[in-house]
Amino acid sequence: MNKPLALAALLASTVAASAHAEADLSGYWLTAYGQIPPVRKATAPEQALIDLLPKGTLLLADSGLKEFPPGDFGGLEVTPEYKARADKYDIEIQRSVSTTCRPPSIIYSTQGPFPIEIFQGKDLIVIKMEYFDVVRIIFMNEKTHPKEWPSSVTGHSIGHWEGDTLVVDTVHISSATFLNNGLDHSDNMHLFERFRVSPDGKELMITQEYDDPAVFKGHAARFIPMNKGKPTDHVYPYDCDPAYGSAIEERTK
Amino acid sequence: MTVAQRLGRSAAVMAALLCIMLAAPVASAHHSAALFYDMGARITLKGEVMRWNFRNPHAILDLDVKNAKGEIEHWTCETSAPSALRRAGWSQDSIKAGEIVTVEGVPARDGSKLMRITGVTKADGTKVGTTGRMDD
Repeated sequence: MNKPLALAALLASTVAASAHAEADLSGYWLTAYGQIPPVRKATAPEQALIDLLPKGTLLLADSGLKEFPPGDFGGLEVTPEYKARADKYDIEIQRSVSTTCRPPSIIYSTQGPFPIEIFQGKDLIVIKMEYFDVVRIIFMNEKTHPKEWPSSVTGHSIGHWEGDTLVVDTVHISSATFLNNGLDHSDNMHLFERFRVSPDGKELMITQEYDDPAVFKGHAARFIPMNKGKPTDHVYPYDCDPAYGSAIEERTK
Repeated sequence: MTVAQRLGRSAAVMAALLCIMLAAPVASAHHSAALFYDMGARITLKGEVMRWNFRNPHAILDLDVKNAKGEIEHWTCETSAPSALRRAGWSQDSIKAGEIVTVEGVPARDGSKLMRITGVTKADGTKVGTTGRMDD
């Protein structure tokens, strides 16, 4: 190969590699407000990520501030056992002293209207969530989940890069609210996520795919967009105060 | 410099954000407003601040309000998460015990003396936070 051709080939391979290089997800990201897909039409980069969901996946329309009212499961085909549980749901549990400061799992909290801060390393990626001060660790240097691992609101997450997309697989998530209206997910929820930054660098696009046959049939997912903050932005401490529950309980006796 | 200025967002953007957070027909947190409040209704109360507890998950304003009979009613008024409100200029020092304020918000479904705040105005007409009026 002559020198100019070799140089061109090298340049082309370098460009191709950089186009698929690991992305920099680090920094502060604030949940986007307003309508979120599927409530609004997705942008082309958003749709490209959504299109990676398995065919037939139900995209839930409750990301961000929106929530389904009691009895509305957003199109999920809920199993009789979990529907019965949801039907018996006592809404007062949400603001009791015992539950006021109990964080929901990452199934619900990731789409909530609070910022996150990502610290990206080679072997670990840490996501500090403002909501309830929850901290997620994604093990990039592990290929499998341990069989024995304590269930928690964050579960056990392993990740890898597929080009510019962070792919995360999480299990061992303790049962917690799914839709915040009485429908919970089980301890056997399997969470599969993709994180990708939009081409303009301003939006972190996340898909969360849910597989929990004890609770519903098929696959469901949420699309979660977050907007990039400034380098000086940081999540605040949440420092939950149970006195909230106490005040509300006292008032509503 | 306010927190909103530090974050580099315009007051208009922050106002829009807080309007959505405070007046959206659903909760901004695990504690679902839609389950407890009649989000289609509005009430306004004027009274003396007994306590302003600016803590997550939701800040609480205890307000004593004189009713038509001249009796004092004790109201509990809750807001969104303070960690979010801080980005719009709210703080523990925004409201002081003993001051007279007018509170706009959404009444409880069960008729209890509980409301969800959409806006607070001080006696001199100053709006709390950088967002001005925060109802819908």
